[in-house]
Amino acid sequence: MTQHVTEHDVRDIAEYTRIGLTDEEVARMTGDLNAIIDSLSPITEYDLEGVEPTFHPIGGLSNVMREDAEEPSFTQGVALENAPKQQDGCFLIPSILGEGGDR
Amino acid sequence: MAASPAFGTMGARVIRAGLAAKEFSAREIAESSLARIDVANKDLHAFLETTEQLALEQAAKVDAAVAAGELDACGPLAGVPVAFKDNMNLEGTHTTCSSKMLENYVSPFTATCVARTIEAGGIPLGKLNMDEFAFGSSTETSAFGPTKNPWDLSRVPGGSSGGSAAAVAAGLATVTLGSDTGGSIRQPGSFCGTVAVKPTYGVVSRYGVVAFGSSLDQVGPFTRSVEDAALAMNAIAGRDVLDCTSQNVDTDFTANLAEGVRGMRIGVVPAFMEAQGLTPEVKAKVEEAAEHLRALGAELVEVDLPNAQAAMSAYYVLGPCEAFSNLARFDSVRYGYCDPGHKDLGSQYEASRAAGFGPETRRRVMLGSYLLSAGVYDKYYYPAQQVRTLITQDYARAYEQVDCILAPVSPRTSFRFGEVSDPTDMYLSDMFTISINIAGNGGMSLPVGLGADTHLPVGVQLISPAFKDENMLRAAAALETVYGPAPIAPAYADGKAGE
Amino acid sequence: MRKLEEVLKDWEAVIGLEIHAELTTLDTKMFCGCKLEFGAEPNTHTCPVCLGMPGALPVPNRAAIESIVLAGLATNCDIEKHSMFYRKTYMYPDMSKNYQTTQGPVAFCMRGHLDLDVDGAAAKERIDLDGLDVGESRGNATRTETGYTAHVGITRIHMEEDAGKMVHIGGGEGRIAGATHSLVDYNRAGTPLTELVTDPDLRTPEEARLFMQKLRQIYLALGISDCSMEEGSMRCDGNVSLRRRGAKEFGVKTELKNMNSFKNLHDGLAYEICRQAEVLEEGGQIFQETRHWDPSAKRTIVMRVKETADDYRLFPDPDLAPYDLTDEWIESVRAKLPELPDQKAARFEDAFGLTPYDARHLVEHRATADFFEACMELAGADAAKLAKPVANLVINDVTAYLNAHEGAQLADTPLTPARAVALVRLTAADAISSKQAKEVFAAILDEDKDPDAIVRERGMEQVSDTGAIEAVVDAVLAANPDKVEQYRGGKTGLIGFFVGQCMKEMRGQGNPKVINELLASKLSS
Repeated sequence: MTQHVTEHDVRDIAEYTRIGLTDEEVARMTGDLNAIIDSLSPITEYDLEGVEPTFHPIGGLSNVMREDAEEPSFTQGVALENAPKQQDGCFLIPSILGEGGDR
Repeated sequence: MAASPAFGTMGARVIRAGLAAKEFSAREIAESSLARIDVANKDLHAFLETTEQLALEQAAKVDAAVAAGELDACGPLAGVPVAFKDNMNLEGTHTTCSSKMLENYVSPFTATCVARTIEAGGIPLGKLNMDEFAFGSSTETSAFGPTKNPWDLSRVPGGSSGGSAAAVAAGLATVTLGSDTGGSIRQPGSFCGTVAVKPTYGVVSRYGVVAFGSSLDQVGPFTRSVEDAALAMNAIAGRDVLDCTSQNVDTDFTANLAEGVRGMRIGVVPAFMEAQGLTPEVKAKVEEAAEHLRALGAELVEVDLPNAQAAMSAYYVLGPCEAFSNLARFDSVRYGYCDPGHKDLGSQYEASRAAGFGPETRRRVMLGSYLLSAGVYDKYYYPAQQVRTLITQDYARAYEQVDCILAPVSPRTSFRFGEVSDPTDMYLSDMFTISINIAGNGGMSLPVGLGADTHLPVGVQLISPAFKDENMLRAAAALETVYGPAPIAPAYADGKAGE
Repeated sequence: MRKLEEVLKDWEAVIGLEIHAELTTLDTKMFCGCKLEFGAEPNTHTCPVCLGMPGALPVPNRAAIESIVLAGLATNCDIEKHSMFYRKTYMYPDMSKNYQTTQGPVAFCMRGHLDLDVDGAAAKERIDLDGLDVGESRGNATRTETGYTAHVGITRIHMEEDAGKMVHIGGGEGRIAGATHSLVDYNRAGTPLTELVTDPDLRTPEEARLFMQKLRQIYLALGISDCSMEEGSMRCDGNVSLRRRGAKEFGVKTELKNMNSFKNLHDGLAYEICRQAEVLEEGGQIFQETRHWDPSAKRTIVMRVKETADDYRLFPDPDLAPYDLTDEWIESVRAKLPELPDQKAARFEDAFGLTPYDARHLVEHRATADFFEACMELAGADAAKLAKPVANLVINDVTAYLNAHEGAQLADTPLTPARAVALVRLTAADAISSKQAKEVFAAILDEDKDPDAIVRERGMEQVSDTGAIEAVVDAVLAANPDKVEQYRGGKTGLIGFFVGQCMKEMRGQGNPKVINELLASKLSS
């Protein structure tokens, strides 16, 4: 099996996707991802010279838009109904930078 | 239980006739169906939530229409017991996607496909178990425990729409909706022996259905007859202003069901039939179905899909990439699991997403993030979209010769819980279904009896050109005249609820 | 730190701008039907789409696409017929989906430009243009009578959505640093947002300021945004680097944020240029970083160091259909283009004989341009004659008044076009002196009265009646025979004495022109 990603890479990906993993989980994930990425190799072996990509399946659709017309919005209560934490009509989150953090 | 008929085992036409003749009321349908679910679900675990109040409200509307002599105005699913995969928002119900992340999430709005099913007269019984965020082929990744296969409780119902398939196979509902990104309707349909339709991408609105792979996802019905599937399609298909990718569909999907297949050209793909991993019993069933179609007057034509073999790897690029992006929104701020006690947002994010997402979800999200990263994008994502072009062209060429294609659904029948543990092995469940999602056209599973070796249900796949979903339904209806409608799983037949 | 003008002698500043403008004049958001409204109760203009609820899907607002195409046409961009929306991953709590829906490599509008007229002291900051004759070009600049014209490239204008708003609590002055928690309001989330990116063609803070100002005029003329820098509906970030005069290689750039007024844009860039020069002159190194302009401290401070390029995991949004604009559609949008400031200025020059300078300043604001036009209409047959004095009144007096009264709108002041024309007519007919005109102008605004009434009440009518003036002139000459003698003997400088005496007699209301003429004729006879 080819080593596509190292444990270091997997830690970076975990940080990017904001999924906190233990060391043990990082090790297992590294193995899993390498196995899956290995199975994707047919994609890299195709001769795709001059082939246009299809980003949107079922061609023909384009310029799908709506008119600039107002639709009902949620009340504040409904908007916040699922909020884990709220205050003053807003969603409440802990410190963005953390203690002594900088951004 | 014996007093009340099992309405979920009846077809829409029978229910309609019974309502019209006042043999029973919609209220009886609702109450009796819910009672039956209460019993059957203990073992089966198909339903995550039942919606008594909504069911009774809807039943009252149907009964009022019957009383007013307006049953005709009630829509094609009047009084039909229906239920929805738990990735479909229904206002006021939990929509969990079988994830701890959304365990307490209550929908503030309703998905278009759900709204249309209810508008068509369906009686909403509840929400159905699935693989977490639809990542899986067995419902084993559900955070709330797997659904069992009604044919054998030690086996998986398939997935990800396993709850939807099991509920119909056990006669707990007449119509359920599922979603299919790589085979998530057709494969459980095959494992549980139900009719299971994945329409052409764009036929059914995705609005309100929690996204997995936005360019691949499509909603469709599980039923026990082709006619019920066509009726459900009539209810849910068509343009929705809330989904840019939905399209105008004015097909009456029931219109050509009785036409038979005489004059139809039906494709078979030799490479599929020789594929490694295809079990002899499934292969035999597909060949048998082909013979029946020939006997019914169809012309069988061999077609080639030279690039279909790359569909699997294209899918495991595109699906995770889109899933990574679609699942970024679960961040503990507006809804969803929030790990308590964190003083900074970063640690709240990481702990909430680690605890809220199961292992398979984490794998797909992280895989997608890797595949879209700078430098890697050009190696996998972009080529996968080019491969999509080639596969779409393959199908287009095939459909110059045939009206629909016959293929296996899954290489095998249902497996035992825990039997397939390696992720890449599990992914092979979808080897015959994935290329259809990549190309975007329609495909369905039709039950054709039990496999000779495992004595478990086997489905064959019928595949239509894009926006010609009526072709596969027509061929399926013809085969149904041979095989009969999908049977109720034995433990649930004749009004039994698996007791 | 050295002064900007000194720094610019040794260093060339290379500036590019990223200008965001919300399409505030639309009724609804970019991808959902929630109402666009500034200042509503938190989270009351939200729905599944703009809250990023699971299962929600975006549907683009047709009017927003029209607006950005208008913006592109008005800034000489090519309109790209085929483009797509992309997802730009950005995990931050004000972004409800944790990705921003924006455009990819191809934007609706590409490869445009604006020409800036720079004059006055700021024109001298481009020492690289020294020695150019009028009409001669060097680089992107062409020498003009009053300064130079700079041709500034626009890389692209793309369509995207704005983020929600956050309030940070527990830190100082609402700052994010030190905050213990934050509150998120998604009312603004999903507001249609255009982002214009310039080529790195700007060379001085004044050019940057003029670019922003000109773009704002255009957007206001198009009616696509209220362009309020205070409320943040128009925002500007700048990229700045320095290179030695004559060098070809670009230096390391910093990104500057929080320049939320024209003054801050100018001062922030000026500070950053001087700071970079100091660092480089002391042998230091510029780091690629984001800096924040603090107008009260008058300095820029580091917000974030960019060690590696951001990886946004950009890919085409599968939820949104691609765009395939037709020529017919683009032409139908072009037909909606109003007269743009440059075109209006050219028309003012042609129709009323204004100088390019006057015309340009009149069209800087829609209100002053409209006011001027209303005056010209009232002037009727005298339009050509009154154009210059009306223009002067508007450019000098009105602008000074509005600058002195923060927030004042011309349309809300007592100065109507009719009063302005009446005032200018009084001066043109020599009924009042130019000094008196200033007094009347102030009185119109203070007392809300017509100029004629003010002149009457204050007894300011200038006496131009030759008969009346002649009597005074005769009396003054008769009272000073010795001075008359001296004048006739060659001391012609005494003319001032005679004029002063006549004016004194007439308590300042005599028409100086008539007095001068009569004195000259009587003294020479």
